[in-house]
Amino acid sequence: MKKAYSIFLVLMLAVGILAACGPDREEGAGGNEGSNADGAKPEKLVVWEDTDRSVALEPAVKAFEEEHGIKVEFKEYGMAEDMRNQIRLDGPAGKGPDVLTLPHDQIGMLAEEGTIQEISVEQSVLDTFTESSIQAQTYDGKLYGLPKATETPVFIYNKELMSEAPATMDEVYEFSKDFTDGKKFGFIALWDNFYHAYAVIGGMGGYVFGEKDGALQSDDLGINNEGAVAGAEYIQKWYKEGLFPKGVIGESGGSAQDGLFNEGKLASVQNGPWAFQGYMDAGIDIGATPMPKLPNGEPMTTFMGVKGWHVSAYTENKEWSTKLVEFLTNYDNAKIRFETTKEIPPVKELIEDPIIADDEYSNAVAVQSQYAIPMPNIPEMAEVWGPMATALQTLATNKAEPKEAMDEAAKTIQTNIETNHSK
Amino acid sequence: MNTGPQVTRTKHARNALLLSIIPGFGQFYNGQKLKGSIYLVLTAIFFATFFQTLNIGFWGLITLGEIPRLDHSIRLLIDGILALLITVLGLVIYGLNLFDAYKDGKKREIGLPLNNLREQYRNLIDNGFPYLIISPGVLLLVFVVIFPIIFSFLLAFTNYDLYHSPPANLVDWIGFQNFIDIFKIDIWRTTFFSVFGWTLVWTFAATTLQVALGIFLAVLVNQKDLKGKAIIRTVFILPWAVPAFVSILVFSGMFNESFGVINTTILASLGIDPVSWMTESNWTRFALIMIQGWLGFPFIFAMTTGVLQSISDDLYEAATIDGASAWQKFRKITLPLVLYATAPIIITQYTFNFNNFNIIFLFNNGGPAVAGQNAWGTDILISWIYRLTMTAGQYGKAAAITMILSLIVMSVALWQFKRTKSFQEEDMM
Repeated sequence: MKKAYSIFLVLMLAVGILAACGPDREEGAGGNEGSNADGAKPEKLVVWEDTDRSVALEPAVKAFEEEHGIKVEFKEYGMAEDMRNQIRLDGPAGKGPDVLTLPHDQIGMLAEEGTIQEISVEQSVLDTFTESSIQAQTYDGKLYGLPKATETPVFIYNKELMSEAPATMDEVYEFSKDFTDGKKFGFIALWDNFYHAYAVIGGMGGYVFGEKDGALQSDDLGINNEGAVAGAEYIQKWYKEGLFPKGVIGESGGSAQDGLFNEGKLASVQNGPWAFQGYMDAGIDIGATPMPKLPNGEPMTTFMGVKGWHVSAYTENKEWSTKLVEFLTNYDNAKIRFETTKEIPPVKELIEDPIIADDEYSNAVAVQSQYAIPMPNIPEMAEVWGPMATALQTLATNKAEPKEAMDEAAKTIQTNIETNHSK
Repeated sequence: MNTGPQVTRTKHARNALLLSIIPGFGQFYNGQKLKGSIYLVLTAIFFATFFQTLNIGFWGLITLGEIPRLDHSIRLLIDGILALLITVLGLVIYGLNLFDAYKDGKKREIGLPLNNLREQYRNLIDNGFPYLIISPGVLLLVFVVIFPIIFSFLLAFTNYDLYHSPPANLVDWIGFQNFIDIFKIDIWRTTFFSVFGWTLVWTFAATTLQVALGIFLAVLVNQKDLKGKAIIRTVFILPWAVPAFVSILVFSGMFNESFGVINTTILASLGIDPVSWMTESNWTRFALIMIQGWLGFPFIFAMTTGVLQSISDDLYEAATIDGASAWQKFRKITLPLVLYATAPIIITQYTFNFNNFNIIFLFNNGGPAVAGQNAWGTDILISWIYRLTMTAGQYGKAAAITMILSLIVMSVALWQFKRTKSFQEEDMM
């Protein structure tokens, strides 16, 4: 046994010596700034773009190459999640992009992880974009990108069933009362889903997270305040009176709603610009306007999604990457993006431009965007969706009173934020 | 040097062993120059090749990095596991070296001649051949199976979550804190026990239903006088033939509260009010169990049908002569024989449903959401883990729950396999 013990000791000693060494850091320490931090011109920059969107990127890239003599390569990636997961792997391996596009609600998570980095641009550049879209690109008071396109739900109606676009929800309510008979419906919104329900809750005075010095405060929840409860009551009214079918609920609610609309059994919906093409393909003559005003006279504050261009934290060419982001979002390139993809860039000058103002669908989205607020981009938002879906679904199925449902949801969200997001 | 039998006691074995602490020297002492050099060279190569890997690996494994951004904790963890595996490999060869020196020393002590080079080679080929052939497979197994297991095992002892994730931040070792939190913090404990409870109910109800239904129908179809067996069997196998995820999505539509056929046609024709299948946890659970029964029975049915063919008619004839009723025949002959033959597979059905992620996720995404816990109404452990990693970024906690889950599955499976006759007779355990 003594022998075994001495062998063991020798081994432990060997492991101990190895463990005590570690990497030799004398030259490498703090070397993350990259060799090009001083702004020397790189040979090429790599951009990651959404699938099927590079038609808008190509002319912009060509112009940039001619102007600065830097080659720009781009690659398309499927969904936002693909890109997020890909950069986590490719970034550290040195194969990542310099510039990439992301939906703004992922900024918080990626900034927290340190995958994308803060950028700085002139105030004059910031002023070209709508305020809310810049707010969407800001996390914890720091700017993490420039906006490339926005989308927000609008009021879409079937012109055969609804002759004129209503201006207020009261009108919609009256129309719906007459029109709905259990087979046909006047208006349906997925108000059991917090993304769509926020239009009402926010418009009535509720909010998700309070704001202080440009940073969202996760400990200030506004989803069970007086306004939010009023919004919840208004939502429940539609379900209670049978104006919304009970089956349009939960995960499959969206497809049930689209099915009814495509069959011509539904006069109007609240839905995003992504739905336009499908409705037109189904042969429906659709119209689109901003959401009608709520009974309290306020516009609906729909959630806005903003896609932006961001600079990877792994790039060695921060300065030129920022320049490229500025270039891609300037007026000319934003206009090309709108013309080729119909995505609406939140560039002030462009929104007033006739090409958007005269286009019924784009104008509806652009106008609604002015009342819309960006979805909160802090990671704590992940805890909001589930409990809010529960609360709204119990309201939709008449199983709870608005006040208690919202209080319960707020409590659950709070506990989950405390358990999952304590730093 | 003496070659004949030795009367005086020598200490060759001990000396060789001690000298072998530096690989090869023991062999030199035993006079095996070539073998000794091979060990020595092998050792030198090992350290020359792997020194850096081991150095960085162990340093990373212990510290998980020291400077944020420069050190990527998760990559260091992976390097560390690699270093561990290489060390184990090195230790195995080192052990062989010690054993070899000791063994040959012992031979010298009792005066046996040592194998010469040719004999050693033959020995290696004859005895070592199977090991030589399976070694690539074992190596693959180590990296494909063992490596990920060690990785998630180690993650359970870190604070890896959104706020402690590279590159901006470092991950730290926190010992058993994740496990303590799961049982100590109210919301985690509530969630864990409610999810675990439902997982057990789900496993036993759904699996027992599918097994009972499968055996029942198989026995029914196997009756001698039944005409059109082939067609009936084909129909019963159908649910198995359609890919499960398609069926589940179709069911999800059929259970829709105001448009699905279940509520509008089937229940309505029976005069039953629409049931809120998707928004009330208990109804969703009930629907899930029914669907799994439907999806799962054809397999048991097919298997039981096969077993039934092999039961001798003599048994039934003898029973008939003794005046047994149909039920007695089923209970005393059919059921024991069927269970005897299929028990291992039935047990794997239980473990399969315990982790049946597809049906839970596809039917209603684990929903409906319920208040007061961070999992949803029909989440089983595996889908809860998915939710924790994909939406909450709680990687460390999810790894800890994964460990608890695997522990349960493994111990139940082991215990049941050990009690199953068909395994005992093959001397598996």
